[in-house]
Amino acid sequence: MDSVLQTFFDVHLMASVFPDLIRIGLVNTLTLAGGATAIGLVVGMALALAALSRRVWLRWPARVYVDIFRGLPIILTIFLLGQGLPLAGVHPFGTNSYPYGIVALGLVTGSYISEIFRSGIQAVAPGQLEAARALGMPYLTAMRLVVVPQGVRNVLPALTNQFIGTIKDSSLVYLLGFAEGQRELYRIGQDVAQRTGNMSSLVAAGLMYLVITVPLTHLVNLLDRRLKNGRPKTAAPQAGDGPGPDARPTPMEVTSA
Amino acid sequence: MSGTAVVRIEALHKSFGPLKVLKGIDLEIGQGEVVGIIGPSGSGKSTLLRTVNRLEEPTSGRIFVHGEEITRPDTDIDKVRGKVGMVFQSFNLFPHMSVVENVAVALRKIRKLPREQADAIARRRLDEVGLLAKAEARPAGLSGGQQQRVAIARALAMEPELMLFDEATSALDPELVKGVLTIMSGLAKGGMTMMVVTHEMGFAREVCDRVVFMDAGQVVEQGPPAQIFGSPSSPRLRDFLAQVL
Ligand SMILES: Nc1ncnc2c1ncn2[C@@H]1O[C@H](COP(=O)(O)OP(=O)(O)OP(=O)(O)O)[C@@H](O)[C@H]1O
Ligand SMILES: [Mg+2]
Repeated sequence: MDSVLQTFFDVHLMASVFPDLIRIGLVNTLTLAGGATAIGLVVGMALALAALSRRVWLRWPARVYVDIFRGLPIILTIFLLGQGLPLAGVHPFGTNSYPYGIVALGLVTGSYISEIFRSGIQAVAPGQLEAARALGMPYLTAMRLVVVPQGVRNVLPALTNQFIGTIKDSSLVYLLGFAEGQRELYRIGQDVAQRTGNMSSLVAAGLMYLVITVPLTHLVNLLDRRLKNGRPKTAAPQAGDGPGPDARPTPMEVTSA
Repeated sequence: MSGTAVVRIEALHKSFGPLKVLKGIDLEIGQGEVVGIIGPSGSGKSTLLRTVNRLEEPTSGRIFVHGEEITRPDTDIDKVRGKVGMVFQSFNLFPHMSVVENVAVALRKIRKLPREQADAIARRRLDEVGLLAKAEARPAGLSGGQQQRVAIARALAMEPELMLFDEATSALDPELVKGVLTIMSGLAKGGMTMMVVTHEMGFAREVCDRVVFMDAGQVVEQGPPAQIFGSPSSPRLRDFLAQVL
């Protein structure tokens, strides 16, 4: 029993790694996950809009992108892009593998986020786009001002979930080989564990992850509840207004201009 | 007449796949005219209305708005829509915007008016439909009748030359219908050109200058309300009236 405690919960060892975990690991984990999510949001929105377009030549590439990135193990993609981009001559960030890790993780995250956005946008009542277009808004303006804001609101819980996933996945990019100061939570814990033959540093790293992810999980639940109880999805059916009429499906993109 | 027509529809056909919904519609609507469109469910009334601002693309035929053919591929349809207001059965207010933002958004983003000016116009329109007090509210906090009045104000804010109403009162509780109809009558009296798809025969009889009866994708009979309701000539119209009156 003592040896179990000693192996996993050596308080002194934990206390000694926490400074590095917080100063280096936490900062890098959040930078990697935050950067990847930022890329993922932009890529994901572009892919979602393309996937919902009437135009085949926009829909198709988006479809293929999403299928490929969602279908591959993330570790393969990270290596493929993280090492591959610089090798292929795409090295806007020089030889430092850190930014390539962010890009690789961001491109994968983008494929997941695009599916989240797409389902959120599709859940917006078609009458919303019609009403905006009937006012004279061009398609993209109507999407930007009317449809997308409602669609994004629909999927805030799913997006938060995705961010939790990206935080966890960010522990994989260390495989690209990072410098001392670029190590994220897992790597710092693992380095010390290897050196000491004691797991307590990994437990400490784990605790750091939980400190971020558990509150986020509760935020997801809160957002979910808000969405379900509070604000209705579309023009609120008032008591006694009857069911929403005009429920027939209409094409997302009414008349290109 | 064709010189002054606000809307001219020529040989309009519309199919959804194999389903022929409009089968050769010819219709002209003059300046300031209020035309009621009645007919059984599924006869193509909404589809007809929605081709006028091209929410539905016609399969064939031509539509002119103020002499400009809007069915040409090179038509700037967004510009046309800016002059053609539409009111939907389900209101379709934007739930993430306040009432005044709903009315002002097109003025700001399409007409490019500065915020204060757009808001001032929006508030004036809201005042006209009796809802200035609700300017800061969210649509979800309004009754169906109030939402529909905001939707009318939103369309009017663009100063349309033509208003399309697709069963504007069908989704409303009976006690809320009157308020919306009163506003529509006021618009009609004010000289607005209107196409009104409606199940409210009272409105068609009292407010419309002309009533068009559609059945199975065709205009079966049209004329002044007195004639349509008083001495219908086609059996189909007589059957229809017998059912709804
Ligand atoms: N987008 C669509 N796709 C396929 N079929 C459609 C579509 N829109 C309308 N229809 C069909 O076209 C026919 C005419 O519909 P429309 O809505 O114009 O009738 P309506 O006269 O307005 O009926 P109602 O009084 O019930 O509103 C119906 O059979 C309808 O199912
Ligand atoms: Mg209809």
